[in-house]
Amino acid sequence: MTFRRRSTLIPAALPFALVVALAGCGSGASTTGSGSGSGSGGTLVIGMTASDIPGTDTVLAFTQGFEGERFVNFQLYDGLTRYDLKQADKTPSIVPGLATSWETSKDGRTWTFHLREGVTFSDGTPFDADAVVFAFDRLLKKDSPFYLPTAAGAASLWAHDITSYAKVDARTVTVTTEKPSGHLLTDLTFLTVPSPTAVKKYGNEQFGLHASGTGPFTFESLKPGQQLTMVANKKYWGGAPKLDKVVLRPMPDAGARTAALRSGEVNWIEYPSPDDLDSLKSLGFQLLSNNYDHLWYCTFDQAKKPWNDVRVRQAANYAIDRESIAKNLLKGTGDPAYQHAPASTEQYVAANDTYSYDPAKAKSLLAEAGLAGGFSTTLAVPTGGSGNLIPVPIATALQAQLAKVGINVKIEKVEWSALLADLNAGKPALGADVQCASTVTYQAEALMRKFWAKDTPVYTGHWYSAKVDQLTEKAERTLDPAARNTLFQQAEQIISAEAPYLFVVSDRNPRAVAPGVKDVVQPKSWFIDLTTIRIGD
Amino acid sequence: MLRFLGRRLFLAVPTLFGVSLVVFVTAKLVPGDPVASLLGPLAPESARRELISSLGLDQPVAVQFGTWLWNLAQGRLGTSIQLQLPVLDLIVPAFGNTALLAFAGALIAFTGAVAMGSAGAFTSRSGPGRFASGLSFLAMSVPPYSVALLLIVVFAVGFPVLPAGGMHDPINGGGTADLLRHLILPAIAVAVIPMGVIARMLQATLAEVLAGDHITAMRARGLSRAAIAGHALHNALPSLLTIAGLQLAYLVGGVVFVETIFSWPGLGQALYNAIASRDLPLIQGGVLVIAVSFVVINIVVDGAHALIDPRVRR
Repeated sequence: MTFRRRSTLIPAALPFALVVALAGCGSGASTTGSGSGSGSGGTLVIGMTASDIPGTDTVLAFTQGFEGERFVNFQLYDGLTRYDLKQADKTPSIVPGLATSWETSKDGRTWTFHLREGVTFSDGTPFDADAVVFAFDRLLKKDSPFYLPTAAGAASLWAHDITSYAKVDARTVTVTTEKPSGHLLTDLTFLTVPSPTAVKKYGNEQFGLHASGTGPFTFESLKPGQQLTMVANKKYWGGAPKLDKVVLRPMPDAGARTAALRSGEVNWIEYPSPDDLDSLKSLGFQLLSNNYDHLWYCTFDQAKKPWNDVRVRQAANYAIDRESIAKNLLKGTGDPAYQHAPASTEQYVAANDTYSYDPAKAKSLLAEAGLAGGFSTTLAVPTGGSGNLIPVPIATALQAQLAKVGINVKIEKVEWSALLADLNAGKPALGADVQCASTVTYQAEALMRKFWAKDTPVYTGHWYSAKVDQLTEKAERTLDPAARNTLFQQAEQIISAEAPYLFVVSDRNPRAVAPGVKDVVQPKSWFIDLTTIRIGD
Repeated sequence: MLRFLGRRLFLAVPTLFGVSLVVFVTAKLVPGDPVASLLGPLAPESARRELISSLGLDQPVAVQFGTWLWNLAQGRLGTSIQLQLPVLDLIVPAFGNTALLAFAGALIAFTGAVAMGSAGAFTSRSGPGRFASGLSFLAMSVPPYSVALLLIVVFAVGFPVLPAGGMHDPINGGGTADLLRHLILPAIAVAVIPMGVIARMLQATLAEVLAGDHITAMRARGLSRAAIAGHALHNALPSLLTIAGLQLAYLVGGVVFVETIFSWPGLGQALYNAIASRDLPLIQGGVLVIAVSFVVINIVVDGAHALIDPRVRR
């Protein structure tokens, strides 16, 4: 016996009815591209790949990697120097920031910086030499009351060879390095200056919620996990931004970023999935990209056979079809990389592009090395992580291409954090024979020697060339940019010949933005200048 | 009743201690460490060592756990390594957001489940009954991840009537209406599986009850269908409550995927990020809050159970 007459479908329909009814609430679906009408510059809402809001306390933006530096540290703060990001057609140079000029001592170790006049922090504190010394104290002086170990750790990439610093007068500071440092001016762009008044007032723990700097944008509000709102600094010394506001939202899922852009919740997304590009383009979204200092590569562990044989390493480099990966897999969001120096850097020399796609040559090199029958090897690849693009599909493509010349690759996937832990323990992730990852190169020159010096955690390939080490060591100590580049180029020539890495692709930093976002300059850099941008019709 | 509650609360303490210990040890066993995640592959070794020791990560695991417990006893959950903000300041709002999402999800799940379950049981041989039964089976089987993406594709992109993610509009945000609009899709996504499970359970229980002698007796005495349905539902209530309680607890703990896809700033998302960066203080704090909410929900459900069914109190 059943009950038939009473309709029980009415309650079943309730949740759906609720959806439809509530969908009508609110102020309408389209909210971005706003700021129209008042003649103001509008609001840029950025969907970041980061999984959370980066730290808002200067260099702690590094808690979300270089994306944090790009969108938070460089927007809220300034260093003594900064990257010139207003050109799309040349490698960004280092230009004056909070320092207007500088000179070096005869021994090349002590730099005197003349500070910019008339700059104030967003809380009204005037910028002066004391603020610079205070900023360095937080990172380098362990007995300073505001020393911050995590920030010191994050800043150590750029600050580790600074031995002392001092105020000369209110508008002059000196910075001394252990040895002459060719990359100090680059390093200083990251060592940004917070308002000493605000740090003292709120303390290290709460400063992030009341961040105050001199940058083009000013901290307005932070909802952890949700969004960071920054407003234009109308008094910015480098020229006020055209935008009114920048809102950052963490959106680690590529599909969610694309959906948010299409539904108008954000008007700018970082790294759309390559597979979504065509549909975004057909819907009228602008696709921006440019080559920059990025390399997706794999390190051969030369402590293991047969990767200790240069012919085998070269064979692998001849065996892979980079163009196909860049074009078919990355849909043009990457460029083939034929050498260690990315094409956008000044250290790139076309003559070092040694490895074309040449499977026949790969096979003959393998035969020469006595491996005509091929061999098997393991390759570790991270499943995600900053700058790693779509690592597993790329590795799978490499696997198929290498198999054609007889190199049978077994892929081992590893989580990014676990990969880092293995690197720090001085071994390739999971103890694999080959390990893939991505890196910046010359835009973080301080890091370069780490790749082939023996005393660093990245020395996982166990490849050492005394000549390369010498050249890069000398380059680091050379202050003249042209002379330094020449030394690096000589080192790159050896690296190309020795092939300690499998050079794969360089990212093009793709982003998709709404049609109304105007005047974006996409430089040859990971970083970007947001001051030129406005929201138009 | 008070003794009952007291006993349950007393039993909760070792449960929470056990959960904390297991999570702590597991987090330590998994490869990766918070300093490596924070500093990346290129930081100088000296900086890494210094930070490890200043965070106390070079202490033996037992000492670290002891320190954590000692601080907890004093009400301190520590500072998140990755975000450099007090754990409590991060967890409390995140838990509030998750609770809101779970509550909305539960509301949808229970309404839908009662509707589908009763339809399935009371009209089991008719079209609507079979439809409801099939629907609940489907709801129980689809992965929440796919449901979430499907909802976004349909309601945020295809027919852009609802936002695809977040909790507030980034520009003109705020207000209840704005919040509700952002809540609908993630709430449906988390509701789907519990809705299916509860509906199936309810349908089965109701079918059993309806086959009982007392129902036949009621029918024989000429009670109306509505009255019989009322009695049947009352009979099914205890088991409905138990399964609903379990499902609610599951909702609170299991919204990780949905929160990540919808960029919903809840505890699931915070924990997911904390695990990826091996942010131990945040992992510990988050898991503790989830464990506490599991315990509380179970106590509340058992309490309600005891209220409805005197046999349980004994």
